[in-house]
Amino acid sequence: MNKLNIELTVNGKKRKVETTTSTRLLDLIRDDLHLTGTKEGCGKGECGACTVIMNSELAASCLVLALQADGADITTIEGIGNDKCLDPVQKAFIETGAVQCGFCTPGMILAAKKLLEENPHPDEEEIKRGISGNLCRCTGYQKIIDAIKLAANRLSSSDSGRGEKDA
Amino acid sequence: MQQRTIPCQYFAPQKIEEALGILFRYGNEIKVIAGGTDLLVQYYDRLYEINHWLDLKNIKELKDIRINKNQMEIGAMVTHTQLEVSEDIKKYFPILGQAAADIGSPQIRNRGTVGGNIVNASPAGDLLAPLMAYDAQFRLLSIQGEKIVTAEEFFIGPKKTILEPAQLLTQIILPLPSERTYGSWIKIGKRKALIIATITLALVVEMAEDHKTVKDVRTCLGSVAPTPIEIKEVKKKMVGKNFNQLDFAELGQIVEDKISPIDDIRGTREYRKDVAKKIMIKALEEIDSACGGGSYINE
Repeated sequence: MNKLNIELTVNGKKRKVETTTSTRLLDLIRDDLHLTGTKEGCGKGECGACTVIMNSELAASCLVLALQADGADITTIEGIGNDKCLDPVQKAFIETGAVQCGFCTPGMILAAKKLLEENPHPDEEEIKRGISGNLCRCTGYQKIIDAIKLAANRLSSSDSGRGEKDA
Repeated sequence: MQQRTIPCQYFAPQKIEEALGILFRYGNEIKVIAGGTDLLVQYYDRLYEINHWLDLKNIKELKDIRINKNQMEIGAMVTHTQLEVSEDIKKYFPILGQAAADIGSPQIRNRGTVGGNIVNASPAGDLLAPLMAYDAQFRLLSIQGEKIVTAEEFFIGPKKTILEPAQLLTQIILPLPSERTYGSWIKIGKRKALIIATITLALVVEMAEDHKTVKDVRTCLGSVAPTPIEIKEVKKKMVGKNFNQLDFAELGQIVEDKISPIDDIRGTREYRKDVAKKIMIKALEEIDSACGGGSYINE
């Protein structure tokens, strides 16, 4: 199978990648760029483990061809925080115990982050709808919902936004 | 083998004319991709079978929702999220926006498109019953010219349509309804998110100038027959009558009798028949209570 060249921005960096007509964005992110925070769960758009932010919108990267992402701006979990400087949503997930096995967590955090960007004060129903594309088999969701509420409170009471100190 | 050396190709033209030219040249050998949310599920373990892709993502005019005289034209690449948030859709075609909001998940709604939902032609496609209920027509283009067909003509079986390999669905055309038009949308499934419908109902009722007499009705259902269908017998019973003189149970029974559902993993034939009647009655009640307002109201 012949290779095709694409260029995309991943976590703020321009990347040139050789790909094929049968490569999914998920495969490109994990296998070519070695960003393994993005997980493959079902491979059919049902579980949300492969969630990324693509051109400012949540997307299931298992349902996007790598070629469709030519020219796109992609944010993965690696792009929103790191060990030294966690995103407020990541901090809230840790503090409320919203992470158990951790497999759904990257997608769940990106979904939560996107939700809070669009709706800084979501009610419980809005939170549930915001993460409705992401399955978690460990937590029973309540702690995830608590984490998103905590992050929403902190973000709205702080002007500094990302990477701020705990209140 | 000579065939194996044919290079794989990916086209993402900016102009419809270019796309039509590519389609004409490749015919069955090329796969048209819109959002990909159905296609990549279907080809989950055999993406390698597709050597040529025609991606419509760069064709700007396919992404517009616009009002043109007495009709709305929705580009085939308009996403479910766009339908959900559009003020014009809320105003004129509220149950289409509600149906879009009930699709899949944020991830799916952001990428999946109205054109993809139509061309995929699943009997359970969430937008299909509302589109049919609003009297949608589809604009099909090829290098040979334009063809405009009704939803009823377009769907011919489960996942089967009259779309030819060289044709592209470019626009959905909806006549703007009168201000005395009311709609109700009901989707039944095992959970709220990421569910393929067990049954869907889109009921659209237009009242006469007196706000009491039924002028026109379209009762459309999904997941109850090989294609989305309209139950025309309901129209015969309702048109010309005063809304509060209608026998809702009788109308529900007509719907139950006229559908031909099957047993499948999402529900049995018997269950679907029972539920069809009940949701028809519920939809009529919703419209009955909305009728007092005299504007585009639903639920």
